[in-house]
Amino acid sequence: MKLFLLIARNVRRSYVRSGLTVLGTMVLVFVMTLVWSILAFLGDAMAEKSSNFKAIVTERWQIPSQMPFAYADSLSQGAATKPDDVRPTDSMTWQFYGGTTEKGTRTRENTVFAFGMQPSKINTMMDDLDSLPAKEAAELQAVIDKLESNRQGLILGRDRLAALKKQVGDRITLYGINYKDIDLEFEIVGTVPAGRYDNNAFFNRDYLLAAIDQYNDKHTDPHPLTEKSLNLVWLRVPDAETLRKVTAQIDSSSDYTNPQVKCETQSSGISAFMEAYSGLIWAMKYVLSPVIFVTLALVIATAISIAVRERRTELAVMKVLGFRPWQLLLLVLGEATLLGLIGGGLSAAATYVVVNIVMGGLKFQIGFFAAFFIPAAAIGWGLALGGGAALLGSVMPAFAARSVKVAEVFSKVA
Amino acid sequence: MVWVETKLCGLLSRAMLADSSGDASSLWASVPLAAKVLAAVGLLIVVAAVVLGKIPFRYNVRNLFVRWKTTLSTGVVFVLVIALLTATQAFVNGMYRLTEASAREGNVMILSEGSTDEVFSNFGFSDINDIANQPGVLRDALNAPLCSKETYLIVVQPRRNPKPDGPQRRFIQLRGVEDPAISGVVHGMDLHDGGAWFSSVGVERRDVDGSGKKDDVIQAVIGEGLASELGRDRTEAERKAAKNQDRLAVGDVFELRDRRWLVVGVMKSAGTTFDSEVWAKQSLVGPMFGKVGFSTLVLRTQNDAAAEKLKEFFNTDYKKAAVTAYVEREYFDKLNQTNQQFSYAIGFIAFWIAIAGIAGTMNTMFAAISQRTKDIGVLRIVGFARWQILLSFLIESLFIALVGGAIGVAIGSLVDGSTMTSVVSSGQGGGKSVVIVLSVNAAIVAQGLLLALFMGGFGGLIPAINAMRVRPLESLR
Amino acid sequence: MPAKPIVRVKNVHKFFTRGSERLDVLNGLSLDVAEGEFLGLMGPSGSGKTTLLNLIAGLDRPSSGEVLIGNDRVSAMSEGQLASWRTRSVGFIFQFYHLLPVLSAYENVELPLLLLPLSSSERKKQVTTALELVGLTDRMKHRPGQLSGGQQQRVGIARAIVTDPLLIVADEPTGDLDARSADEILDLLGELRQALKKTILLVTHDPRAAQRADRVLHLDKGRLVEAAEVVG
Repeated sequence: MKLFLLIARNVRRSYVRSGLTVLGTMVLVFVMTLVWSILAFLGDAMAEKSSNFKAIVTERWQIPSQMPFAYADSLSQGAATKPDDVRPTDSMTWQFYGGTTEKGTRTRENTVFAFGMQPSKINTMMDDLDSLPAKEAAELQAVIDKLESNRQGLILGRDRLAALKKQVGDRITLYGINYKDIDLEFEIVGTVPAGRYDNNAFFNRDYLLAAIDQYNDKHTDPHPLTEKSLNLVWLRVPDAETLRKVTAQIDSSSDYTNPQVKCETQSSGISAFMEAYSGLIWAMKYVLSPVIFVTLALVIATAISIAVRERRTELAVMKVLGFRPWQLLLLVLGEATLLGLIGGGLSAAATYVVVNIVMGGLKFQIGFFAAFFIPAAAIGWGLALGGGAALLGSVMPAFAARSVKVAEVFSKVA
Repeated sequence: MVWVETKLCGLLSRAMLADSSGDASSLWASVPLAAKVLAAVGLLIVVAAVVLGKIPFRYNVRNLFVRWKTTLSTGVVFVLVIALLTATQAFVNGMYRLTEASAREGNVMILSEGSTDEVFSNFGFSDINDIANQPGVLRDALNAPLCSKETYLIVVQPRRNPKPDGPQRRFIQLRGVEDPAISGVVHGMDLHDGGAWFSSVGVERRDVDGSGKKDDVIQAVIGEGLASELGRDRTEAERKAAKNQDRLAVGDVFELRDRRWLVVGVMKSAGTTFDSEVWAKQSLVGPMFGKVGFSTLVLRTQNDAAAEKLKEFFNTDYKKAAVTAYVEREYFDKLNQTNQQFSYAIGFIAFWIAIAGIAGTMNTMFAAISQRTKDIGVLRIVGFARWQILLSFLIESLFIALVGGAIGVAIGSLVDGSTMTSVVSSGQGGGKSVVIVLSVNAAIVAQGLLLALFMGGFGGLIPAINAMRVRPLESLR
Repeated sequence: MPAKPIVRVKNVHKFFTRGSERLDVLNGLSLDVAEGEFLGLMGPSGSGKTTLLNLIAGLDRPSSGEVLIGNDRVSAMSEGQLASWRTRSVGFIFQFYHLLPVLSAYENVELPLLLLPLSSSERKKQVTTALELVGLTDRMKHRPGQLSGGQQQRVGIARAIVTDPLLIVADEPTGDLDARSADEILDLLGELRQALKKTILLVTHDPRAAQRADRVLHLDKGRLVEAAEVVG
């Protein structure tokens, strides 16, 4: 305890140096927290779950996946036809519609990327939205109810709403990007709880289907995407065994031949997609992170070795007074670690607050992931990073302090 | 403060983005003025100070060696930061060079109206011939318009012999091409020796596995990068028996969509996005993947000016079909969206790591100065002016920065020439999986050294001002 | 006064403020030092002798009054002017030698010459001469840490004379030395004065050191209290 007080006093002794060291620690831990948050999220998304997980059904041979809508119902049942066939516990369908609010001009601000779905699936199947806290869940339910009753309703992410400079209740027309010449008129009925869908939108799939029909009624040639409007089908399955059976049912069905489809776990689908980014992810893990960590250790090591050199005399005096070498060692390690813990903890906590609450997520597009959030565990990372780098960086100076030669120091002073 | 940060971030990323053309001289021209000024000033300070000999340079350098431990640990920070920056910049530069090399002067790319990406483009058959026959489009010896008609597809391929914990599939860019010879001319693609463009039918009957049974195989021309990648799928035994150990060669077979594809030619495609592509007969592969119409037309014109003119014509006056035209370079520039995002990310990270580096340098220099206040006192009494003291200490940190930065650039430059798989895209959806050759150029070297000097300068400045303020008499008491 | 005065201090006041308190160190002090004179300044701690020395040496400026050295009005110079004036006109000798520990004896002596427009061969000549005068040519590659106190002080003296200044200012030069080394240093100063005809200002506590001076002034509470001619 006494030793700790001494450590604390040493930290306070040079405000400039302690401050600079903490600053260095903070910015590096900050960068590391951002990088790791992305890696952790992707790692989690690509990790196979053991129970109650989701599977994706997509076109087998090409991306983007475009299947006839006729596949929707049977795929949602896992292609179950016979009474003893296995069925998924839940499902949803995705139909992408991209549009701009101004005809002919496309900017980052005026573009809306929307998921056409059955409204009732938004809060049972969408990642994160299926596990909201009670209050947000109730709010979302109310919005979904509006979407059920209003076929031309649109639920917007809050960033998208802000970018469009619109409010809930406003009407907008979206001019089709992928559905050329199919324009949709929407009433904004609500927003999605803040999170990874801040830039997305949800609408009732029935509206898109009706719009395609309407187009085909008016034109001699059907719209090119008529038989290609279903992009993904999601299935929820209780365990791997069920998934295996469902996959077998889909594979053996003769209903899905043109195009063929494939069924896989969400994580393996994401893994395949992320394969293109594997080099980058590798570099973030094995180049960027170590470089930041070593830089951090070096910054702390420099500061601590300076402190030890400046205090050689008093370390010698302490030895004369009867302090044991290991106590001096601990004194130095303690000072470094304290600085590291303070800097690391503060930085991770601040990053957590700023990124998640103030900024509403880290906007960085990797594949179809547009925003990343700092997990609560980041506070632990920060402490571990700061403390760990400090410990590592202070080992040599601490041993130098331990082995201060009393006679040498005093002969120099005299 | 926030403003300064954004400004600096912007400056940094601008400096990094500046690099978008190939050769060193124009790259230097694209380095922002502010950075050039900074470099010039830094250089001037060093040269002036050393040449004029008005500061005790030897004294400073010798002190760096006396405190070698802190000098080293500070220097290593510079090495790490600059090496990291150089390597990541080489990656971004590689991406730019790739898209740059893929676009050809004088080429005009036609997509269906409103499309920004080939993946989403689709037109019916009717419009096509008329587009190719517009004036300004060059013709070949047989008077056929130089118009490459293509259907662009991204196809899922299950890997052969995948590692159990590795990826099981890959995405392959498949380009259905109507007349490969014309497309080759339009894109400036040649084949490696022994190869040929596929026939007008695009298939042949052949006994590919030596079983004596003949099969219909699809003829394909593939990029050499993809040939290497597919070549790595082979087992050790297959590779030993193969004609070419490193990559698939003419006569080799690969599988795609339950069909066998015969390599009839390998394109000299290194450094372009075509390097990761398979080209095959459009009339075969289009229907096979449910995309009957063409997605892309590429027209060859005399030069960029003609291309610009033709593009304008299609975008404003052409009414027979709904199209959007791009000069090819412009299209590939759009694909740099991802690159820009990475550039910004690198700028952002470099900025913050630089701050930490500055904090570390400041610690070192503050300590150096507090340890040597007596020396400073003596120097002042002997007649060195304040500015000379300031410079002498500033040079100490700039010296660490320059040496550390130079070593960092050297280490970072080791990635030059190595390859990495990544994605170029124009934003949400689409995108091409490509092989990037990391490439370091003069501008990247300059940027690395600049950032080092910037860190050293900032880190040394405040301590040096403190040193300057030392009162000679008090310091000696 | 046998020769024309090279140092003229005219009615100089110097005060410092500590918080709200004003501390008068020099009160209307006037003083002339003739060219080639060896002047001793004595006085108790806080009497203002170091302050006076600093004013004469251009390290500090008076609150009021004038300091002239040769034809230069030191008290009116800017900081930058003072710095370059010091290099040419004043040589310092300190109690604790104050050599730069990382530089060799030779380089320490060379230091002030870096500020003058000299070629390196000219510098070399001057440094060697200065080291010869203090008798240290065999030690010029040594760092201060490898020299005895007396030797370090000789290096300090060599550094003080190497620019051939008008005036040499010594602040307790023997204060940190044993009696024998102190005598040697004082002998050396005497010799240099003879050989180079330098004006020397010596601040000291040590009466034996003061004995070597032509004239000794006593300072107390910022005033000259007595002037005594000492026969050298």
